[in-house]
Parts: sequence; C-alpha cells; structure tokens
Amino acid sequence: MRIVFRCILLAVLAALGVWLWFVLFPGPERLIRQRLMKLANTASFSSGESNFARLAAAQSLAGFFATNVEVDINVPGRVQHTLVGRDDIQQAALGARERLSGLKVAFPDINITVAPDKQSATVDLTVEVSITGEHDSIVQEMKFTFQNTEDGWLIARVETVRTLS
Amino acid sequence: MPAQSPAEGLNDRGRSQVPRWLRIALIGRNPKVTLVRAAVLAVLCFIVFKFILLHIRVEGISMLPTYADGSAHFVNQLAYLWHEPRRGDVVGIRFSGGVTNTPTGVHQAANWLEPPHVMLLKRIVGLPGETIAFVNGQAVINGQVLDEPYEKLPCDWNLPPETLGPDEYFVVGDNRSMPPELHMFGKARRDQIVGKAIL
Repeated sequence: MRIVFRCILLAVLAALGVWLWFVLFPGPERLIRQRLMKLANTASFSSGESNFARLAAAQSLAGFFATNVEVDINVPGRVQHTLVGRDDIQQAALGARERLSGLKVAFPDINITVAPDKQSATVDLTVEVSITGEHDSIVQEMKFTFQNTEDGWLIARVETVRTLS
Repeated sequence: MPAQSPAEGLNDRGRSQVPRWLRIALIGRNPKVTLVRAAVLAVLCFIVFKFILLHIRVEGISMLPTYADGSAHFVNQLAYLWHEPRRGDVVGIRFSGGVTNTPTGVHQAANWLEPPHVMLLKRIVGLPGETIAFVNGQAVINGQVLDEPYEKLPCDWNLPPETLGPDEYFVVGDNRSMPPELHMFGKARRDQIVGKAIL
C-alpha cells in the first residue's frame, strides 16, 4: 500500500515538474499561440472607447508586428488591402476603431510550423471576425509568418489563403 | 432506544420527504450503479460528440434551401472511413488544413483528434480526375449535364472548364442564385474533407 502511495506521489510530482517546466520555459509554439491570443484580444473592441484608448490600442496592436511587416488581405467581395509597415497597421486599426461600433476577433483553429532553426514560424489559421450590428461573421483562412526577434515573436507577413482553389 | 445523531435524523427526514418512486427515477435503486452508468454515458457522449459526430451551426445562406441559416446539424467524421466521398454528399471542409510538413498518417490522426471549430459546408459535385464547368447555371461534368434535384434556386453561372487533380473534389453550395464572386466554391483536397453532413 505504501509503495502504491509512493508511486502515485512520484507520478504526481513528475507531472507537476513537467507542467512547471512548460510554464517556465515555453516552447516557440506555445509562445506564438499566446501571442496570437493577445493579438485577438487587442484587435477586438466594443463601443464607448475614448480617443486616447483607441490610440493606445492601435499602438499596442502595431507592436505585434515587425517594423517591415507586409499585410496582404484579399477577401473576394469583401475587402482588398495591402499594408506595409507598423504605421500602416496603426492607421488601419485606428480607422477601424473610429468607423465600427464593435469588433470581435478570434483565431479558432491554429496550425503552427516552426522552422528547424527556431528563428521563424509559419502559422495557418482561421480568422473569425464579428462586426457589431452585422449578422454574418467573416471567416477567412490566413497565413502568418512569424520572426523570432529581440522583442519576441513578431509577425513579419500576413496573407489571405484561398481555402478552395 | 438506540442513540441517533442529528445528521442521521436529518437524512431520515430528507428520505421521507422524497417519494420512493421519484428517488428511483432520479438515482435508481442502486445509487452506485447509477453513478457508474452516468459516468459511462458521459464518457460515451464525450467520445461521440468530440471525435465522431461534430455538432455544427450553419452560418450564411450559401447552402439554401437545403440548409437554412442558423440551423443545427452534425458532421459524421467516420463517414469516409470505408469509402471515398461521393457526388452529391454535403461535406464539412476544414479551413486550416495546411500542415504540409507532417507525414500524411500523422496529419490525418491529428485532424481526427483535433477537429476544426469552423468549417465550410458544401456539396460535392465533381470527383477526382473529372472536368467540371458551369454552362447557363448547370453543372457540366465531363461534357454531361449533371442532374441536381437539390438545386431549387435560379442560377446563371458560366464558368470555364476545370480539371480536378487525383486528390481533388469540386465543392459548391446549393444557393447558386448569388453571384459567383460572393460564393465560396472550388477544389477541395481530400484531407480538407472532415466528414459528411447528416441530419
């Protein structure tokens, strides 16, 4: 009985150790996933924001991207945009926050492929955007390219993917 | 007279308040057996609705009139275990299926264990190797007009012929009354097909 108890205790301690290891030293995939969750939260907003809050949120959003980022969005029948650099991102975010009364962004399905050198990663994901007041949400498959920099994992390129070729 | 603790007295009082038939209906004759049955049922439900039958809610009008906006259905992930998808099947198609550096078997297992949260619901009209075109709103497969009894809405699409690859299916919604540029359709790879829509 005592041996069984010790074995269980050992297994629990080992599981705790592994869990702690992953919490304290997260791998690139976990870091990128966390980054994307934060990005979705920062990009989402509801009505009633002050001008200062809008500006702060837009600046914060731009911070997720590399300085030379290229965003190529092409949703047939909806939107076609090319943004280059953080300033473009910031302006677009600010414009969206002024124009729309609310926006909810989510990344429900994420597939991350980290390069062998762990300096870059490709992320295939689904973006789900719900605009306040609109019945249908926009769902689009996208490809993000991340770069590992001194400031952490930053988005270097964003492009839309045609799900059905 | 035997001594009775306050808790026992409370239990007896509690029991007497609930009719026997209701107690049996709620927790059965043997609560332990009922608990085991409930646990087995919960595990079974988890497995079935997590890995086999995916509950979906249709959003949008591209599958009208077959599937209405907001209606709820299931996608059977095991439908194509024994045979390949067939023409006319309504299937769930995953968005983020672009894992290319993983061996196929591993990829398929990962797909099954981690079903998508968002997917497209479309009907298969073209099978691998076939050539498909739309002429005056009618689907033409290898030069033959396809009989589509589920098509109820008017369509005037004209699209040039496209030949499908050995692993590609041509999928399209049932509502072709909307302009083609607003309707998501085209070639889907076999590994993008999650399962067959049922109910």
